[in-house]
Amino acid sequence: MFTGLVRTVILYILIIAGVRLMGKRQVGELEPSELVLSLIIADLASVPMQDYGIPLLSGVVPILTLLALTMMLSVLTMKSVRFRALMCGRPSVIIRKGKIDQREMTRNRLTVDELLEELRGQGYHDLTAVQYAILETNGRLSVLPRAGQRPPTAQEMGVRAKESGLPWVVVSDGRLLERNLTALGRDRAWLKQELGRRGMRGVEEVFLLLADETGQVYLAPRETGKGEGRG
Amino acid sequence: MKRFWAAAALLLILLAGSLANAWYSRTLTRDMEQRLTQAQELAGAGDWEGAERLTDQVREDWEEHQFYFHVVIRHSDTDGVLKAFRAVQEYLELEEPDQYHAANADLIAQLALLAEMEQPSLANVF
Repeated sequence: MFTGLVRTVILYILIIAGVRLMGKRQVGELEPSELVLSLIIADLASVPMQDYGIPLLSGVVPILTLLALTMMLSVLTMKSVRFRALMCGRPSVIIRKGKIDQREMTRNRLTVDELLEELRGQGYHDLTAVQYAILETNGRLSVLPRAGQRPPTAQEMGVRAKESGLPWVVVSDGRLLERNLTALGRDRAWLKQELGRRGMRGVEEVFLLLADETGQVYLAPRETGKGEGRG
Repeated sequence: MKRFWAAAALLLILLAGSLANAWYSRTLTRDMEQRLTQAQELAGAGDWEGAERLTDQVREDWEEHQFYFHVVIRHSDTDGVLKAFRAVQEYLELEEPDQYHAANADLIAQLALLAEMEQPSLANVF
């Protein structure tokens, strides 16, 4: 048991260090500690599950150790900026004022082809259109285009734009999401009225109903024959 | 910060549990090893009945703690000890000194290795 505990701590730290060294591009959307947890935990759980000759404790102890370590790291990451930088890294400015920072690219092991691919993926086929490109800690590239390349905003065009509300899912696949209805500041009477106005008798006939605070409603009726007989 | 201390407490509990387990398994097996060595001495002196009685007691003791061993140690290892006990008891019944000595030494070594696996040592970790 002791061996399992110490080995888990060592392997966890080792894999986190490895993931950090691999660079941001490998991490994807997960934080390094979360990635490591997801990598190891499934394997740890499957060993005592598959092999009955191994005591359950030899799976449970490492899993609990990992969860405790992850919890501690996540609290430390939240509390300390330095620790967060150590665990997750800092965003890297790859293109600064239109100029590629080659040293940053080397530091992040990002090739020109990969940079161009990322930019193309975001709709920037011309590098001169980019003012700033930042490689975030989650591995994504954020792009700030040059002022002349940005689509004009309503404010820049002097147009008064109407604010839109946040759409809430009120009915999903025939089920009423009461919590979202309350969060929207509406009640069942309002819903009944909205459904009635669209010729619906109940939520069972609705596939999706979205509504926002401004009163905008989107409704998609349920297709007949689909999902029938569900409880 | 509460979550941090809760996680730290869990880690400490796990650490304490693993150290307690190391100590307990060592204590249990060391006592069994000593009694099996005594039984071997009795058999060497010609007291086969005394050796058999002592070995039976050790086996009963093992069986009393089998649940504990089964929970913390690989089942193939605990099964190996049980098989070794049977072999030793057979040779005691047959009063075969050479075979008994070899089987008893094997049993003592298996018990020592069981506890050894659980000890907090660098050799075990690496």
